[in-house]
Amino acid sequence: MTAATEVKLTAAEVAGLGSKPDPTAKAWAKVAGATIALRPTPLDRQPSAYVQASWKDRQHGVIPAIEARFATCGGVLHARLSWEAADPRPAITDNNVFPDACALLFPTDGKDAPLETMGSPEKPVTLWHWRAGAEAAFLGTASGLGTVDRTKSNSLAIEADWANGRWTVAFACPVNNAGFAVPNSREVRVAFAAWSGANSERAGLKSHSPAWTTLVIS
Amino acid sequence: MAVPAKPPIRQMAMVFDLNKCLGCQTCTVACKTLWTDTPGMDGMWWNIVNTMPGLGTPRDVFSHGGGYKNGKPVPGRFPSQADFGEAWDFDYEAVLASGSERGEHLQPREAGGTSPKWGPNWDEDLGGGEYPNSYFFYLQQVCANCSKPACLEACPRTAIYRREEDGIILIDEERCHGYRFCAEACPYKRVYFNQKRAIAQKCISCYPRLEAGVAPACVRQCPGRVRHLDFVDNKDGHIYKLVKKWKVALPLRPDFGVEPNVYYVPPMSPLAFNEQGEFDESESRIPIDYLREMFGKGVDAALDTLQVEREKVAAGKKSELMDILIARDWNDLLGPFTGNPATIERPPARTP
Ligand code: SF4
Repeated sequence: MTAATEVKLTAAEVAGLGSKPDPTAKAWAKVAGATIALRPTPLDRQPSAYVQASWKDRQHGVIPAIEARFATCGGVLHARLSWEAADPRPAITDNNVFPDACALLFPTDGKDAPLETMGSPEKPVTLWHWRAGAEAAFLGTASGLGTVDRTKSNSLAIEADWANGRWTVAFACPVNNAGFAVPNSREVRVAFAAWSGANSERAGLKSHSPAWTTLVIS
Repeated sequence: MAVPAKPPIRQMAMVFDLNKCLGCQTCTVACKTLWTDTPGMDGMWWNIVNTMPGLGTPRDVFSHGGGYKNGKPVPGRFPSQADFGEAWDFDYEAVLASGSERGEHLQPREAGGTSPKWGPNWDEDLGGGEYPNSYFFYLQQVCANCSKPACLEACPRTAIYRREEDGIILIDEERCHGYRFCAEACPYKRVYFNQKRAIAQKCISCYPRLEAGVAPACVRQCPGRVRHLDFVDNKDGHIYKLVKKWKVALPLRPDFGVEPNVYYVPPMSPLAFNEQGEFDESESRIPIDYLREMFGKGVDAALDTLQVEREKVAAGKKSELMDILIARDWNDLLGPFTGNPATIERPPARTP
């Protein structure tokens, strides 16, 4: 299985975050952020010969890093992702315009799953997915590349803000309805992905954290 | 990994006779009113008829890549909505309020209120050549349900599938995440994008009608008796006879490598005029190189066969080929799909 990086993130109780996502909430200032380095996904693993052929001379995965913060507030797990996007794509405005997006990935059992294949039939992963301009947040599961099954979620809420050349996206979801199990140890694993709409990134063409990071949910 | 499409048990196919099309767009409107009149579909024309030679729909239709070269996928582009043509509105109210026959004329307007500078079939009836050797023909396009469907094979989510009972290619709208690789990969640019729903949509060959034994709307409503429909394996049917037996129906742009299941009877050209204004028996008005580019090398033999069979009929003899193409009884065009659309629900329920 995939090793986790040395970094340990914590989601500690922060009063004042409430139950709704708020990327600009003052309370986020009390939470330390971790910078997660991202890398392009391997092109030869894209599950389509067309995608491999049409991107072989073109760089994808151009977002180099994402800042992540986690907190809890009264049984709600909050996450906030922030990254540089000088030329944002806040909505689909044409056939060939692709929206910015980001996602958090968790082993569905909270413990482990193969990250490089986005889960397996035995060890699926859960996704929290934000796509700029979409009406709702997507909560999904995947059990291999190209198998993401997502539904508009009632439990997961997302708010996004773009200012000063950065996206800041806040996720909020009741811990007991997060789409993944939280073991007694309160330690889960998390991974990150971001898509640059300006670079026409979508599907598996993205920046991702190639290893799990441990997240302790207090 | 997206896998090559499995061959179906039977393959439904169509033949369009380019010598008979009136350019009336009845097919286009039949499709529009049946399938693409809901939000996000305003600019979609799953069936379109363009004047050729021309830029087509979307603009420069055959220059956006996609398809296969030597069996390898060719990178493609998905043209903008402006290249497909914005959906227009018309100022009906101003015209009605003008109260006079000589008042306002009906004007198309784009969403922003601007006057359109491009649209589907924009260069209608312009054609090519110099007077008196000008020429054109109409080219009808729907999804060709290709045997090597570049759209299906491009989708990283396997959201596109090929039905085993008739080889029709469908997009599963529940699985589609709107990535649009399919639209880039289709060399005919027959995949549209619904911006409101963030999904790809395309011609569905009226499959709910086919399931009820009724021909697709574009086929059935064509007043020109242009469109033939059947399973390819029916040796007594029009498709088999036109494609395999008489070899007068050819794929569009075979160099795209997708093996389409829509075939075309190439346009027979009138003779060219020479400088004295007389017919030049050695020259046809539509350049043969252009037709070879459009329909492949088989076009010379197909045109010869058509000419021979036409002359036979002119000499009072019988020709099976001409009987098929004339289609005196229009039901003969429909293969096994002669059911009456009035007996089914409209629009028929869709469940991909
Ligand atoms: S194919 Fe038939 S319906 Fe369509 S434009 Fe030609 S004649 Fe009209």
